[in-house]
Amino acid sequence: MPAAARNRVVYFLIAPAVLILALTSLYPAVYSLVLSFFNWNWGNRFDFIGLANYIDLFSSAEFWQVLYQTFLFAVAATSLELVLGIGLAVVVDRLQFGASVIRTLLLTPLMVSGIIVALMSKIVLDPMLGIVNYALGLLGLPPSPFFGATSTAMATVIMVDAWWQTAFVFIIVLAGLQSLPQEPIEAARVDGAGSLQTFFRVKLPMLRPVLFTVLIFRTIDTLKVFDIIFGTTGGGPQIATEVMQTMAYRKAFSFLQMSEAMTVMVIFSVIVLAISLIYMRLEERMEAD
Amino acid sequence: MRNTRREQLERLLAYLISLAAILLTLFPILWLLSVALKSQRDAFALPPKLLFQPIADHFLALLDRPGFVEAFLNSVYVTALGVSIAIIIAIFTAYGIHRFRFRGQKLFGVWLLLAYMLPEFLFIIPMFALFQRIGWYDTHIGLALVYQVHSLPFAVWLIRSFFKEVPGELDDASKIDGCNHLGALRHVYIPMAAPGIAATAILTAIWIWNELTIALSLTFAEAQTITVAVASFRGYTSINWGQMSAASIVAVAPMLCFAVIAQKYIVKGLTLGSLKG
Repeated sequence: MPAAARNRVVYFLIAPAVLILALTSLYPAVYSLVLSFFNWNWGNRFDFIGLANYIDLFSSAEFWQVLYQTFLFAVAATSLELVLGIGLAVVVDRLQFGASVIRTLLLTPLMVSGIIVALMSKIVLDPMLGIVNYALGLLGLPPSPFFGATSTAMATVIMVDAWWQTAFVFIIVLAGLQSLPQEPIEAARVDGAGSLQTFFRVKLPMLRPVLFTVLIFRTIDTLKVFDIIFGTTGGGPQIATEVMQTMAYRKAFSFLQMSEAMTVMVIFSVIVLAISLIYMRLEERMEAD
Repeated sequence: MRNTRREQLERLLAYLISLAAILLTLFPILWLLSVALKSQRDAFALPPKLLFQPIADHFLALLDRPGFVEAFLNSVYVTALGVSIAIIIAIFTAYGIHRFRFRGQKLFGVWLLLAYMLPEFLFIIPMFALFQRIGWYDTHIGLALVYQVHSLPFAVWLIRSFFKEVPGELDDASKIDGCNHLGALRHVYIPMAAPGIAATAILTAIWIWNELTIALSLTFAEAQTITVAVASFRGYTSINWGQMSAASIVAVAPMLCFAVIAQKYIVKGLTLGSLKG
């Protein structure tokens, strides 16, 4: 087949994907960017107001608090999930029998929708009627208000996210561990290294690319958190658990401040995409090493 | 031997930790199931009633709840539609990326990844405005289409990594046999990567079935999905735990069955996609 024809074939092959993605990602991104310079409130008025939306946001304390909380949630949840997921993978990797059943059971949270995880946690963690506070009482520990107080709500949604997504880290790290070459591990063991030493000195460095991929996915996913918070606290009490996506939802669909909501998302998308691009660069560099 | 003794202890500890993790994982789900089967009085009882007379009332009440059964069927339909669109288009796209070098290829790859990473509300609000105008708001096709922002890049990425595993000689052989590109795709790539494509379809289906954010904003009544119907139980005033739990169980049951049946595919899809990039 001549080379020129080949080129034409490929454009036919990817055209449907390009069209769909243009409509569903490029068009809305441009639309949001343009509308962020107007004051559209779901009516017929479109007045150009320049950077006013951006200036309003950047000078509101609420915006900075919500941005801070978004990162707090993402960093805390991702770290917790990585530590627990890696730990669990190492443990299950050592099992001799029953490992596949155990793996299946530990995967169940990934099958559960975020909104169901949210409602479930509201039942289990209810301050008055919840089983967890009852169990804490039996152990002689004080009850917690969980979602109900500004001081504990954020920690609680982070915990709930960890219950939900640790399995993702676990399954990928486990697969990574099981596909490691055996020779360096054996060599370390022959040299008298214990299992902890082997893990930190030999296995963990070899797992670096896998861990990096997991880190990217969890970071982006937790930055974009919505359903867990929407279903439990709705961003409250006051705005103690409000994050960028719940803020945009509230502005757009409760207050019909469409332009303001789009401004929030434009700023946030720039942040998320910048982080994604930095990660991609780092990954390329790692692969080049 | 001291060493084996120590290894035995470590193994015992590993089983104990695994057991604890399983309990922690399954407990909330089993608790939810128990609340769905309890009367209101039993559900609120403290100390909790471990032995109780299970009742089906909450599940039966869901049948009378306006729109609930329809929401379940809507989810079935939107999932089937969304998965079909994603998989069919992704097969051609993945083949294109895998088999050719073309101008803008790198840019296209970055675009796929960035589209996948986009925060939902960046595209939800404009799509909401657009769909209101053209009459696609609250329709199955509108929702399935917007799901492609996430599902299509995911499917392309995964199917491409499965195509990479197809030996190049087979492709060349098919060319010699006079196959064109569609022939190679049909006779070599799709059959060889079938388990991988199945894994991709399953993971896409799970994602769409469980998705809330987009469905909440782009559907209302006609195309309302099961997650939106379940979300309507949220709120501090109506503590109808029994029905809320029953609805959640109904929504999660198909995915749990799926997990048991297709476990091998799910693990394959999740791990291959991340291990090979």
